[in-house]
Amino acid sequence: MSEITMPRLSDSMEEGTILKWLVSEGDEVKRGQAIAEIETDKANMTYEVDTDGTVSELVAKEGDTLPVGEVIARVGEGNGAGRSSLDAGREQDEPEQKDEEPDQEEPQEEPEKPEPKPDQRPATSDQPSSNGGERVKASPVARRMAGEMGVELAQLEGSGPGGRIVKADVEAAAKDGGERKPAAAPAAQRGEAGAKGEVEYQELTRLQQTVTRRMAESKATAPDFQLVAEVDMSAAVELRKRLKEVADPAPSFNDMVVKAAALALRDNRRVNGAYRDGKFELYSRVNVGIAVAGQNALVVPTIFDADQKSLGHIAKDARALIEKVREGQVTPPEVSGGTFTVSNLGMYGIDSFSAIINPPQAALLTVGALKKRAVPDDRGRIVARDMMNLTLVCDHRILYGADGAQFLARVRELLESPLSLAL
Amino acid sequence: MPTMRYREALNEALREEMQADESVFVMGEDVGVFQGAFKVTKGLLEEFGERRVRDTPISENTIVGMGVGAAMVGLRPVVELMTVNFSLLAMDQIVNHAAAVGYMFGGQVSVPMVIRMPGGAGHQLGPTHSHSFEAWYLHVPGLLVAVPSTPADAKGLLKAAIQDDNPVIFIEHETLYGQKGEVPENGGASRFGEAAIRREGDDVTVVGISRMAITAEKAAETLASEHEIDAEVIDPRTLRPLDMDTIVESVKKTNRAVIVEEGWPHGGVGANLAALIQEQAFDWLDAPVMRVTGADVPMPYSKPLEQAAFPHEEHVVQAALSTFKDT
Repeated sequence: MSEITMPRLSDSMEEGTILKWLVSEGDEVKRGQAIAEIETDKANMTYEVDTDGTVSELVAKEGDTLPVGEVIARVGEGNGAGRSSLDAGREQDEPEQKDEEPDQEEPQEEPEKPEPKPDQRPATSDQPSSNGGERVKASPVARRMAGEMGVELAQLEGSGPGGRIVKADVEAAAKDGGERKPAAAPAAQRGEAGAKGEVEYQELTRLQQTVTRRMAESKATAPDFQLVAEVDMSAAVELRKRLKEVADPAPSFNDMVVKAAALALRDNRRVNGAYRDGKFELYSRVNVGIAVAGQNALVVPTIFDADQKSLGHIAKDARALIEKVREGQVTPPEVSGGTFTVSNLGMYGIDSFSAIINPPQAALLTVGALKKRAVPDDRGRIVARDMMNLTLVCDHRILYGADGAQFLARVRELLESPLSLAL
Repeated sequence: MPTMRYREALNEALREEMQADESVFVMGEDVGVFQGAFKVTKGLLEEFGERRVRDTPISENTIVGMGVGAAMVGLRPVVELMTVNFSLLAMDQIVNHAAAVGYMFGGQVSVPMVIRMPGGAGHQLGPTHSHSFEAWYLHVPGLLVAVPSTPADAKGLLKAAIQDDNPVIFIEHETLYGQKGEVPENGGASRFGEAAIRREGDDVTVVGISRMAITAEKAAETLASEHEIDAEVIDPRTLRPLDMDTIVESVKKTNRAVIVEEGWPHGGVGANLAALIQEQAFDWLDAPVMRVTGADVPMPYSKPLEQAAFPHEEHVVQAALSTFKDT
């Protein structure tokens, strides 16, 4: 019998929520088989068992949030959940009965339930379903009342000993119209109407909680300053036109910014670093995170080794990651390990903006809208050029004005002569 | 209502029944001149004479056997055994004869006999004097079993036992003889098979056997004052016949049951009652039926060990709480 505990699926994960069990009690599982979908502070992911056996007990219920290391399920060898309970019963201070015929006790793995008479057993929902749901732990009276009141036992959370669903839980559920909001979607409540009208209270998802905590932490600890640079993107626009003819997907301007930043990061090591616990941390890999709106919050998936990847490669990675975020399938490893962040609101027509540093990173680059603007050329004539604003937000504990300026100047230089990006 | 001690209530019951029916007589070790080991037969020898208050040798099987014979020929003997432990010497007469004779002779004879005996722990009398054997007698068809916990029940049930045509095992609790309580004046016989609800409540049913009904009542007060749990305390008063109606009705209301007894856990009164409750009220249960019992050991002599070997208020509180939440 081995115990499956809540896994640590990311460095910062302290607890996780079982979104969905992919197996039922009694199911045979193989090492490497996905058995549950788990929501962590960063992402939803499936969890794979590292042992072969039979699922003897799903200790955690769907919607349960448990700390890392808590038992969520038990996997035994051989066949059947009934065995363990029989064994446990036998240990309990019963005098040994050696003279009993062994075949009287052994074969009854799980006592067969007598066929319920149709008029006696209301259609309770807790019976193992055809697709093999586990038996819900509920007291006899809760079971009977749930049937009478049409309450789905599987939807309830038990308040009794060991999570047993008791009468009070069924009564409460019946009062709520027999519905319970699924654990994954935050529950909305309505409060008293006041001068602001009726208030709807929404619980934060785990992801929203993480964003809340980290943003406040960043703003409270990082003394930040901003550097703004205007970049002439005309050459980049020209380059992109040509790339469109040969590449699918064609790299976006944002991909070019990522690539330019990655190259500049390689030369400006402290920008590719962090101030942490009284020390500068300088990273050998250049991993650029891209801020993506999704999952009702903000997610920053990472393009690893962006300095080593071609523009086309970056474009492909970025598309895939953005897609995953929107579908809620991004995994913790994919949102970890960033050394720098690029945030782009240009598609909304925002000219330039500041942002909050993604801690503990040293800096974050924001990208505004690319617009034709009237600018003087070398000879003082007013011409229309494709212009774009970049803002570098720096943590002054590790980056000084000159450091940031050098880095930003290099990014501009790369974007204004973009052929070096296409290499 | 007059107040009297448990032993005085028993004494009154004997006196009243002996006055009312000449066929009633008392027999046992030291019941006459010594007036009973616990003074329950005080003054009876003086009032009713040696013919109806008979001191016997120390020979339990013989005392009970004489009682069975006397009952078969029409008398109503009340036999006193010094403790429930000693009654085991008379097991043959009690189980093979008193309980069975009526059946063996197709109802041509009956055995209207009462066998009184004190049981229970608390006086440091060691394993040969302090056990609770209610379960052993409850096991035997043909015997009625009474376990009064108050002076009023002691009197009412003893009168009923004497008037009943069946053999009755009447188990008094050794530590209750000095307990005072109100006893109705001119009260008649109680009815067997009628439980008393000592305290009404909606949250958990606590059934206390014999002295444990009192322990259960104290626990109920603690549950109410400290845990906001309103316990219903039931004293069944007789184990056979057993008032299952009252118990089941209560469990259907509270959805939880705790049984408290001083006897051993295996094959005990509580084990039996728990089985009956789940058979009759399964669909009303919100938690497993809990038992609080004496320890699974012969009763120790040492005072701290003896105290540790039978249930106290806190054990009942814990068991009741465990039907609500993880403890």
